[in-house]
Amino acid sequence: MFKRELAKRNKLLGIRRERAHPKFSPVTIAMLIVLILYVASLFLLFFWAVLTAFKDPLLDFRTNTYGFPVEWVWNFSYVFTQFVVHVSTETRVGVVGMAEMYLYSFLYAGGSAFFNTLVPCITAYLCARFKYKFSRVMHTTVLITMVIPVVGSLPAEIRMAQSLGLYDQIWGMWILKANFLGMYFLVFYNIFKALPASYTEAAKIDGAGNMSVLLRIALPLVRNTFFTVFLIYFIQYWNDYQTPLIYLPSYPTIAQGMYTVSVTPTQEMSYVPMRLAAAILMLVPILVIFLIFQKRLLGNLTVGGIKG
Amino acid sequence: MDESRITKADIPVTEDGVQPSSSGGDKREFHLKGSQKDMIFYVCMIAGAVIQFAVCYVWVNVSSFIMAFQNINVATGDISWTFGNFGDIFVELSWPNFWTMTKNSVLAWLLSLVVSIPLGLLFSYYIYKKMPGSIFFRAVLFMPSIVSAIVMVTMFRYFVTSAMPDLMNDLFGVSMPNVLDPATGHAFGTVMFYSIWVGFGTSVLMYSNGMSGIDPELVDAVHIDGANGIREFWHISLPLVFPTLSVFLITGVASIFVNQINLYSFYGGTAHASVQTFGYYLYMATKQADGDYGSYPRLAAFGLILTAVAIPLTLFVRWLLEKFGPSED
Repeated sequence: MFKRELAKRNKLLGIRRERAHPKFSPVTIAMLIVLILYVASLFLLFFWAVLTAFKDPLLDFRTNTYGFPVEWVWNFSYVFTQFVVHVSTETRVGVVGMAEMYLYSFLYAGGSAFFNTLVPCITAYLCARFKYKFSRVMHTTVLITMVIPVVGSLPAEIRMAQSLGLYDQIWGMWILKANFLGMYFLVFYNIFKALPASYTEAAKIDGAGNMSVLLRIALPLVRNTFFTVFLIYFIQYWNDYQTPLIYLPSYPTIAQGMYTVSVTPTQEMSYVPMRLAAAILMLVPILVIFLIFQKRLLGNLTVGGIKG
Repeated sequence: MDESRITKADIPVTEDGVQPSSSGGDKREFHLKGSQKDMIFYVCMIAGAVIQFAVCYVWVNVSSFIMAFQNINVATGDISWTFGNFGDIFVELSWPNFWTMTKNSVLAWLLSLVVSIPLGLLFSYYIYKKMPGSIFFRAVLFMPSIVSAIVMVTMFRYFVTSAMPDLMNDLFGVSMPNVLDPATGHAFGTVMFYSIWVGFGTSVLMYSNGMSGIDPELVDAVHIDGANGIREFWHISLPLVFPTLSVFLITGVASIFVNQINLYSFYGGTAHASVQTFGYYLYMATKQADGDYGSYPRLAAFGLILTAVAIPLTLFVRWLLEKFGPSED
């Protein structure tokens, strides 16, 4: 093949394998300019939002929408106490504060992310290591559902959740999210498939059962990927307000609270500095997670082609 | 699991000096027992995933299909069968609104195809070539993906509607309208700009990770042959990252029918008809139904119509990419 011939030719010519030092070309210079403008626009927005969150909503922001605050005001304490969602469902009537919303967010995002990572991981292990026909059926199912789009099944899903008692329950959301479908099944599948048979066979000969092999050998081997996928899902569910808005009316998450506050014009939280302070309070935990785990999040997860 | 090579002689002796019994010591029987254990373990472990799939995917989609032909009387709970939902949804939407929605949904997809994907690929190429600041740029490009849409939209909305007009007026004496007000005619363009602006994260990450797997010898060879950066990008990077790109292109077709272009975050349930997309309408209408089963069949019928278009279109794009897409050779 072409690649092998090239490698042979390079070897003969004594060309080293290391990538050459990067050189600027018209394309990369243009890209650099676009990227600098992109970063500047993004940082400008964040910077403006932080400055505005420290402004007095009545005395300062009305006449000074883009400058530094005339007087730095700590709006966050006020926002923390006033950031509330009024809940009125069949099972619950009352007011939910920000602290409680954080708790619901952690429960919803943490549980959903855990089960949405665990189920594809275990299913991928079973499909990759147990060569039954059903394993191939499961693998094909994942590929088909990735390619075949289904639109507009939300009303049917709501009815199903209500009829099974999953509706308006955080644990119900964990079950709804605990599917094996999607890209990360393939990520885990490829890892388990590449695992030499001797790893598990040796343990089995030593008397280990299937569960021991799974818990003591297979899962520890994919713990890094498992944690990365978990983090990606955690961030996704933490930020998701549309699912809780429909499925968790009694347990508003922080994202749902942010949405409710942003579309409710009849309270003091409608002032721009207050809303931006609330946005920053919601942003902080996820930004901390990103800064701590950014190498892991930006790691080496790749998607291959979809082949049925 | 391949256990055909394991014989009784391979079974290690325990600490007590006893070789574990294989129920009679017969090799065939040992195999049977092992495979039975495997089968039991397999069934027990996979059952949960299969049940979840059967209920939350198969049942839901079959119910959605059936629901499209139902007429539900909310007061009595009676269900009758009808094809009327397919006509009713267009009456409810009105044809002009439906065409506006179609235009917006297709335009959103085309813009992502023409602007987001090429820019994403070029950004990825810059990062892959390890040009100055590439690690920093990769992190910053990914940042909007970790920030909640509602937070980003809140910041963006107030910036373009309060700070920007004042800034434009003070600096250039230009009066800037509220670009998110549909009456100005700029709302859809502004929302699309926002969606593209925050949408590079995952694709750039995947493309650049895919490009990092390209054999350096191949790149060296084309440079020796006199190729410049543009030719390297076109003839090496792009074909080799094509499997990743094709995933985004194939799954992107479905986005015509599900992409909300962040309209719900901008406008809640009150986005003007001139900016709506299919994805927004389906979510907004389901949310606004708020448990009113009577309106669900019309939405299910609309979803069925869109699915009937989305499936062949997706398969067609997949076929096109396989037929005419570049190969690694």
